[in-house]
Amino acid sequence: MSRKRKRTKGIIILVLAVAAALWAFMPFYWAISTSLRSPLETFTIAGLGIPFIQFRPTLANWIDQLSIGETQRALLNSTIVAVFSAVIALILGIPAAYALARFRFFAIKNKDITVWFLSQRVLPPVVTVIPFFLMMRSASLLDTRTALVLANVTFILPFVVVIMRQTFADLPVELEESALVDGATHFGILRNISLPLAAPAIAATALIILAFTWNEFLFALTLGSRQAVTIPVHMAGAVDTRGVQFWFMAVRALVAMLPPTLLALFAQRYIVRGLTLGALKG
Amino acid sequence: MWKSKAKFLFLLPAVVWVLIFTIFPLIYSLRMSFYNVRIGQGDVFVGLNNFARVFTNEQARSAAFITLKIVVIAVAVELVLGLALAILFNRAMPARGLLRTILTMPLFATPIAIGYLFFTIFYEEGGLINGLIPWKVPWLSDPGLAAISISLVDIWQWTPFCFLVFLAALQGLSEELYEAARIEASSGWQVFRHITLPLIQPTIVIVLLLRLAEALKLFDIPFSLTGGGPGTATQVYSLFTYRTGLRFFDLGFASALSYIMLIVVMIIVSLFFRHLRQIYD
Repeated sequence: MSRKRKRTKGIIILVLAVAAALWAFMPFYWAISTSLRSPLETFTIAGLGIPFIQFRPTLANWIDQLSIGETQRALLNSTIVAVFSAVIALILGIPAAYALARFRFFAIKNKDITVWFLSQRVLPPVVTVIPFFLMMRSASLLDTRTALVLANVTFILPFVVVIMRQTFADLPVELEESALVDGATHFGILRNISLPLAAPAIAATALIILAFTWNEFLFALTLGSRQAVTIPVHMAGAVDTRGVQFWFMAVRALVAMLPPTLLALFAQRYIVRGLTLGALKG
Repeated sequence: MWKSKAKFLFLLPAVVWVLIFTIFPLIYSLRMSFYNVRIGQGDVFVGLNNFARVFTNEQARSAAFITLKIVVIAVAVELVLGLALAILFNRAMPARGLLRTILTMPLFATPIAIGYLFFTIFYEEGGLINGLIPWKVPWLSDPGLAAISISLVDIWQWTPFCFLVFLAALQGLSEELYEAARIEASSGWQVFRHITLPLIQPTIVIVLLLRLAEALKLFDIPFSLTGGGPGTATQVYSLFTYRTGLRFFDLGFASALSYIMLIVVMIIVSLFFRHLRQIYD
């Protein structure tokens, strides 16, 4: 009896877990299904719209959207902005994180400096978007990828500092201290000892900040208009000018969502730490 | 902890960056909030006038109210659902890793894309949901339901966050404690109520504060899912501020609006930071 009850309980739990996963995956599925239908079939197929069973899938929408110059340019812009932002943020953030993990500051305590960096991360972006717009306008940088990089580095820098500070703090300090005794410089130690040891965390951080930058919308919308259009802004613009064409919308949504979603899958271990700003390790 | 001067070289570039691109804009914005800013015509000092407008403006008030409504519903459901899922996944089951991975997929999906995608899902004629249920629910054209729809999308995207954090917290609890509790022959509910819940309570508080601070910024989903509509029924606070500043160029008023929001978020966040300062020591 007890064993049977235990098995029933196990099955119920599995069913609930599968249901939860389906719920999370459903919008992705719906986007895939819609993107594979011809425009005429968008509204005529009922219910779940299962490819091969309810309709014959076609790649026509994908070919159409991906061959448009605007889409290609938006993809290029998003990629360039994300990569440059991530690299600059890592170059600025890693030494700062190392300093906070290994050195003691006196005038202002280490923890207060860390919290100061962090507070940028929770700042409502709508507070800085207007002055940032005016600054970029004065610098004649409106509608450039440079402006987008400047904005995005600002958003992801605190993230880099927090995750990397924790990573460096978790590394054993003895190796670095013996190198110090042997006459190595602090910069040399960071480059030759700490960075290689922290490589997995740096890679994971890079993936997460690439995803963040790729997804950023408010500043991209405000700073870009014709040239420096990223994927999210491109999506919004296409809806404005042509209305919601479900079949193209689905393709554009997938083009937007797949890169950051896939990148984040490789950084699973660091997601909890990153999203709770280091408050929890996970 | 070392004391070399090299520390300043390491820290300075990042600090300078934040000073230029965050602190300076914040000061700039604070100044604007006391002026009637007219691009190219010179600014007129108006004292606290812009702040007074925040509290008397009908649209600002309804924006604040609708934001609170959406956020409270969304965050409450996310916490409960996230905890329930974490408890569910905190035991052995086949394919747990795979299911957990699928459950975290919404987290990094582009919010703007999500908003437009859910527009087709909530669509009244031929959308996914109304195609599966026997009623025609006006998800996006009814003012009350449109707000609920925004909450639902937020719940879809952010429950995985609560789930992941709670799961990590549950897995950090000691197994012996549970063994002891079970021997005491308490029911599953009692173990949860008197042992699990008190132990993960700090985690729940952190998640609650973080989600509140994040959710109040809500912009992308209303922008794409409802466009603030029908009418201005789902024009959330950030959307209203954005339109005031960058569509109607009432920059002084927009700055005052944004500073009020900053103060509210900072109050929430300072509670969170009080806890964090201990960790960063």
